[in-house]
Amino acid sequence: MPKETSKYSVIATGVSKVYKMSESLEVDALTAVSFKLKQGEFVAIVGPSGSGKSTLMNILGTIDKPTSGEVYIDGIPTSKMNGNELAEFRNKKLGFVFQSYNLITGLDAEKNVELPLMTASLSDSDRRDKAQKLLVRLGLGERLKMRPTQLSGGEQQRVAIARALVNNPALILADEPTGNLDTHSGDEVIKLLKSICRDGHVTIVMVTHNLDIAKYCDRIIHIKDGKLEKQEVLA
Amino acid sequence: MDLKDIFWLSYRDLNEKKVRTALTIIMVIIGVAAIVALTSFTAGINNSITTQLESLGPTAIIVGSIGTAGFTPASVSAVSSLPNVTSVTPLLTGSAVLYAGNQNTSVTVVGTTAQGLQQLIGNVSLYQGSAYQDTIAPDAVVGHSVAFPTSADGKQTITVGQSATLRLGGRGGTTVTVPILGILPAIGGLLIPIDTGVFVPLQAAEVLLHRLSFNEMLVLASSTGSVNATASLITTIYGSSARVTTTSQLASTASSIIGSITLLFGVIAGISLLVAAIGIMNVMLMAVMERTREIGIMKAIGFKSSHVLLIFMLQALIIGVAGGVAGIVVGATTSYSLAAVFSGAGSTSTTTGASASTSGSFRSGGGSSGGFSGAGAAGAPSGAAISANTSSGISFKPAFPLTTIVAALLIAVFVSLAAGIYPAWRASQMQPIDALRQL
Repeated sequence: MPKETSKYSVIATGVSKVYKMSESLEVDALTAVSFKLKQGEFVAIVGPSGSGKSTLMNILGTIDKPTSGEVYIDGIPTSKMNGNELAEFRNKKLGFVFQSYNLITGLDAEKNVELPLMTASLSDSDRRDKAQKLLVRLGLGERLKMRPTQLSGGEQQRVAIARALVNNPALILADEPTGNLDTHSGDEVIKLLKSICRDGHVTIVMVTHNLDIAKYCDRIIHIKDGKLEKQEVLA
Repeated sequence: MDLKDIFWLSYRDLNEKKVRTALTIIMVIIGVAAIVALTSFTAGINNSITTQLESLGPTAIIVGSIGTAGFTPASVSAVSSLPNVTSVTPLLTGSAVLYAGNQNTSVTVVGTTAQGLQQLIGNVSLYQGSAYQDTIAPDAVVGHSVAFPTSADGKQTITVGQSATLRLGGRGGTTVTVPILGILPAIGGLLIPIDTGVFVPLQAAEVLLHRLSFNEMLVLASSTGSVNATASLITTIYGSSARVTTTSQLASTASSIIGSITLLFGVIAGISLLVAAIGIMNVMLMAVMERTREIGIMKAIGFKSSHVLLIFMLQALIIGVAGGVAGIVVGATTSYSLAAVFSGAGSTSTTTGASASTSGSFRSGGGSSGGFSGAGAAGAPSGAAISANTSSGISFKPAFPLTTIVAALLIAVFVSLAAGIYPAWRASQMQPIDALRQL
C-alpha cells in the first residue's frame, strides 16, 4: 500500500475493466485509470456516454470489480474482498446517490434513511434519532412520515442524500444526481452536496454530463474512451 | 442485523401486496384444510367404530338371519348349548317413527332383554334415567341421537319420564305410546343402530312388531381364543341361512375400508399441497423479479446475501404459519359440517332411500341394505347385517388429536419454506450491479 494512502480517501491505481462479450470480442471499458482524491474533495467525473464513467463509478462503489488495478478507499484495498465483506464495507464507508433516487417505495422517508443503520447494532431510538436529525438538517422535517411517491423529485433526492450520509461514510458516489431534476432543484441538490463536503470530511464523486453543474466541484476528471483524458482543478 | 428488522421488512413486503399475499395464503389454507378435514373425518369414523366394537367386546359374535324365517327361542337355546358360549342375546329389530312433542324421528326399534341391552352398550351406565326390566310393557330406552337429534342442533328434545308415540308399519300403521325410562350414552351407530335406536324389552317388541322370530343373535364366546372356533361352528349349523360376523372381522373390514379412504384422502390432500407449493414458488419468484431493484439498493447500502435470503424465507414462513393456522380452523369447521351432513341424513324425519344407502355403504355386509323401510322387511333377505332396515346415519364426531394439528401446521410451514428456498436464494445471489442496471 502506498505510504500516503491515509491522506487520500480514494486512490485508484491502474484500474482497467475489460468486458468479454464473446470468445473473440472483448471491450475495454476502462484502461489504466489512476487518480487520487483528497479527503473532503468534491469531484466530478465527466465524459460522453459510453466513455466508461459509469463503470468507474461502479468500481469505486465496489459493486463492480476491476479486471486489473486496485482501488483504495480510506486506505483499504477493495479488490480482494468477498461479497459479504464488501457489503459490510459499503455499509460503513460508502454512500450512494442515484439519478432515479432509488428509494424504497414502500417505506417512508425516515425508514428509508434508517435502512443502512439496520445492519449496524444500534438501538431503535438511536436509529430513529439519527435519521430524523439528518432529515431535519436537510430541510425535510415536515416530510418524515411521507412515502417517496408523496415527495417531489428534489425532496426524494434529499432523502436519498440523507440515506447516503447516515452512516458517516468516507465517500459518497453520486450518479447523475440532478439528471431527473429541474434546474432549480438540481442547483439545490448540488449546493447541498457541496456543503456536505465542506462541513464534514466526506469526499463526493459525482458523475455528470452537465458541465454547468460540474463547475461547482473542486476538480473535474474527464474520461474518454475508457481513459483518463485530463483533470481540471477548479478550486 | 436484528431479526426484528428482518421480520419487519418481510412483513412490509407482504402487507404491501395484500391481495397477492391473501391468495397465496389461501392456497396453503386449502391444502392444510384438506388434510385436517379428511384426517379428522376418518379418525372420527375410526373412533366411532372402535367405541362400538369395544362396547360389544372382543368375544362378540353377531349372527344375522338370512331369509324370512329368522331365529326362534329354540335357536337361542341351541346356540347357548354350544361349547365356549357364555351368553346368547336375541335381537328383534324393526323401523318406526318416534313422535315426541313436535319432533318426529326415524328410529330403529330394537327389542332385547335387559341383559342384552347392557351387553350392547358395554356394561356402562346410562346417560340419563335407568334401563327397563324384562316385561311385556313397552318401556323404552332411547339412543343418544334420538334424544339429542341433529335436526334440533343437538339440543335435548326427549327427557326421561316423558312419553312418546311410536308409529310402526309406515304410514297408517299402528301407534303405541311408550314411556321413556332412560337415554343411552353416545356409542355410535355403525354396526348396531344404538344411537338411533329405541330399545324395548324383547317381549314388548314381539307384540309391537307382531313377530316371534328374531333377526339377530348376539353371542358372547367365553374367551377371545374360542371366538373363531365358535363362529365357524355356528356357520356350520346355519349354513346359508345366517351370516356370522365376529368383532375382529368387523374391525379388520372397517380398518381396511378406513385405510383405503385415508389413502385416497391423503393423496388428494397431498396434491393440493403440491399445487400450493408451486403457487407459492411462482408468487415469490414474481415478487423477487419485481423487487430486483430494491434488492440491488439494499445490497448496495450494505445488506448481506444472508439478510436478503432471510427476508424472503421469513415471508415464506409467514405465509406457511398463517395458512397453516387458518387451514386448521377451516379444516375443523369443514370436518364438523361433513359429520353433521352424514349423521344428519339418517335421523331427520325426511329419511330417503338415498341417505339410507349412504349409511349402509359403510356397514359390513350392508350392500343391499338401502331403501328398506317398514316393519314387514324386518326379516331382511340377503346379507344385511343387524342394521339392514335401520334408519341410522353414520353418527360420529370428527376427532382432532393434537398430533394432527401439530402435523398439519408443520407440513404447512415445511411446504412453504421448501417452496420459498429457490426464490429466496435467487434474490440473495443477485449482484447489486446487475440489479441496479435494470430500469
